Amino acid sequence: MADVTRLPGVLEQIRLVAGLRWRLLRNSMRRKNSRLDLLGLILVGSLGGIFVLGVSFAFYFGSYGFLSTGRPAWLSLLFWGVFVFWQVFPIFVAGFGANFEFRVLLRFPLSQAAFYIVGLAYGLADFSSIAALCWLLSLAAGAISAKPQVFPAMLLVVSLFLVLNVALERLIGSWLERLLSRRLTREIFLGLFVLSMVSLNFVNPLLARYRALLRPIVFQLIPYFSWLPPSLAGRALVGALDSQLGAFLLGSSGLLLYAIVLNVLLWRRFAAQFQGEELSESAAPARVAARTALTAADDSDHLSALSPQVAAVVRKEFRYLTRNGFAFLSLLLPPLLVLIFSAQFAGMHTTSSGRSFSVSPDTFFPAMSAYLILILMAPSYNCFAYEGRGIQTYFMAPVRFREIFLGKNLMLVFVLMVEIGLSLAMLAWRVGLPSLPICVATLVGIVFAIASQLTIANWSSLNFPRKLEFGQMRGQRQSGMAALTTLGTQLVLGSISGVILFSGRWTGNPWVPTEAFVLFAAAAVAGYFASLDPLSKLAEKKRESLIEVLCK
Amino acid sequence: MPGIAIQTQKLTRKFGNLTAVDGIDLQVEAGQFFGFLGPNGAGKSTTIKMLTGLLAPTSGSMQLLGLDFAAHGVDVKRQIGVVPEGMGLLERLTGAEYLQFVGRMCGLDRATTQHRSNELLDFMQLADPPKSMIVDYSHGMQKKLALAAAVIHGPRILFLDEPFEGVDALAAGALKALLARMTERGTTIFLTSHVLEIVERLCSHVAIIHKGRLVAQGSLEELRAGISGEAGNKTTLEQIFLSIVGQDGAARPQLEELSWLM
Repeated sequence: MADVTRLPGVLEQIRLVAGLRWRLLRNSMRRKNSRLDLLGLILVGSLGGIFVLGVSFAFYFGSYGFLSTGRPAWLSLLFWGVFVFWQVFPIFVAGFGANFEFRVLLRFPLSQAAFYIVGLAYGLADFSSIAALCWLLSLAAGAISAKPQVFPAMLLVVSLFLVLNVALERLIGSWLERLLSRRLTREIFLGLFVLSMVSLNFVNPLLARYRALLRPIVFQLIPYFSWLPPSLAGRALVGALDSQLGAFLLGSSGLLLYAIVLNVLLWRRFAAQFQGEELSESAAPARVAARTALTAADDSDHLSALSPQVAAVVRKEFRYLTRNGFAFLSLLLPPLLVLIFSAQFAGMHTTSSGRSFSVSPDTFFPAMSAYLILILMAPSYNCFAYEGRGIQTYFMAPVRFREIFLGKNLMLVFVLMVEIGLSLAMLAWRVGLPSLPICVATLVGIVFAIASQLTIANWSSLNFPRKLEFGQMRGQRQSGMAALTTLGTQLVLGSISGVILFSGRWTGNPWVPTEAFVLFAAAAVAGYFASLDPLSKLAEKKRESLIEVLCK
Repeated sequence: MPGIAIQTQKLTRKFGNLTAVDGIDLQVEAGQFFGFLGPNGAGKSTTIKMLTGLLAPTSGSMQLLGLDFAAHGVDVKRQIGVVPEGMGLLERLTGAEYLQFVGRMCGLDRATTQHRSNELLDFMQLADPPKSMIVDYSHGMQKKLALAAAVIHGPRILFLDEPFEGVDALAAGALKALLARMTERGTTIFLTSHVLEIVERLCSHVAIIHKGRLVAQGSLEELRAGISGEAGNKTTLEQIFLSIVGQDGAARPQLEELSWLM
């Protein structure tokens, strides 16, 4: 029989969980062995603190101003601000990563009630909750400073608003956890999320074009928003200030109803978890399909021109690309961005101010190419990021690292060619083709930029590796030094390319940039191939740090 | 007399102030099923990593199949297979794709790779479901796949770091039969395991490493001869192991201190 004679009370359990979270935070800071990372953490923390403090002042003076100038109905806007941040920010922070940490508590002898309360308390310790709580208190303090008689009503409204927000935030988190517990779903959602973020760029041009059409629809929707919690909170406070008991009761009972419904839903979700709901990374076992026999088509080798080792790496890279939902969907971005930029800058539409301006294809094409290289080359500076423990396969195989780099780089060059081809087609459709000298100079310049960067990117991948997880955003960042190397290299190469391109204008000979780029590209390509053997030796020297970092 | 498959001279590996492997001189003859034992943190995995090129020695040298590893790393790797600690699988490939990748990396032609992959997947009972990625495999399935990848090119030396950990009894039986057959055909197998019964059943020769130093090496009979067992009873490997490694009194658990558990 176990020696436990008395379970700790709920308060004691909350204290233990708070202590656990604090230790986790402290230990995670201890593990940051890089000063740059620690500096970044301090910088982000300070900026976060300043942000919360600044917005708190804004909420204080906002609510004070609204009440002291006789505009209490505007308080709803402030409640909306708190509400939206509290509920939306955690979704961004979650970054579509699996998050099972809270449910780990289930291994301990907690009652369901204690699990529920600890779960709510756990949610209150998030940055978004702390920030939103600060703003809510500032809002209340401002309102009470302006109209002290609102204190009792404010206390009730803020309390109900707090309870329903905590419950809703945990509920959304719990639903998301359930939804995203499967890897495939998570990766698809992450891709859609990124695409939707990019699509926001279309909002301005679309609004400019369809403003008149959208306005009545928005006005029709506004009354429905008045039944949502922030509007109800504002309505209750206006009722209290204007001594309209009906409005106050309607607003506060609406909040109470929301709080009850959300807490019941949350209780049901937590109950499912408490009863052992299994959230697995992988799909349920599917019916076994018969394995297809090797066919003639399977046997054909489209990469027969390459050595077997290089071809194997190219195939593996292609498979990894198609299985990394985020990376694969991000390939849609470049043509999409060309579409966005051409809509915004290329004179294909009139801006909201009625002014029309355009950028010539001779400027647009080199700029677009530079931008594509900037975003598509960046991952190659940490090209082993997704190998994980598989990096050992490379070191165990009887190959030199030049084959592995060649395979990886070939795949990247292929992707770049496809992307640049697609973007060029998009450009031709939206803006028109550049002049022949600029087109040729840019294409040769692309060869120069890619070959130069590949050499440095391979070196950076060996020196500054960082493991990244498939289909996750949270905590997925490159090493600080790799990011600096990327930035520095691209700045230098961009400047050189810019000067070469402008040399055509300065000299009056439009073919001078092409001639210069041919020389530079030849040197870069020669340098690339010359670097492969030294990089193979470097890989042998760096194998321990690579394996250590990537096998964590 | 069979040739020497693995030979090390004063092989040493230091991590800062810690000497994980301290000047060991190993000698494994070709065709031996060799068990490499030691308590946790003794230096087994570090040694196996050095012997397979995953870790550079701080000093000392090693020859595999007569080739110096430092000078002929690629040639040596062509003739060895490894199931490393953590298995080192590319988890976003399917089992078949991973075997094809390894086969091609080892220089097999496409048809041979495909044929052997299919055979190995069938033997390891990994053929179904064919489209599952390795990341979705159970631990035991991953272990079997790592073993399949280690043998696909027909290595002359096979290094296995805890090969049966997490593998079910049925599969373990088939794997042991496969390994025994490989040694009959002349393959040298270098195996580490914490399960001494497995080592005792499979291995003809054993070395024991303790605190980075090689404290015993030889055939099981030679090791038994050095240990006095109970009269009439054959000394087990566990007794040999405990008598060599457990001589350090500090390592023995003091059960009386945990009286509240009993």
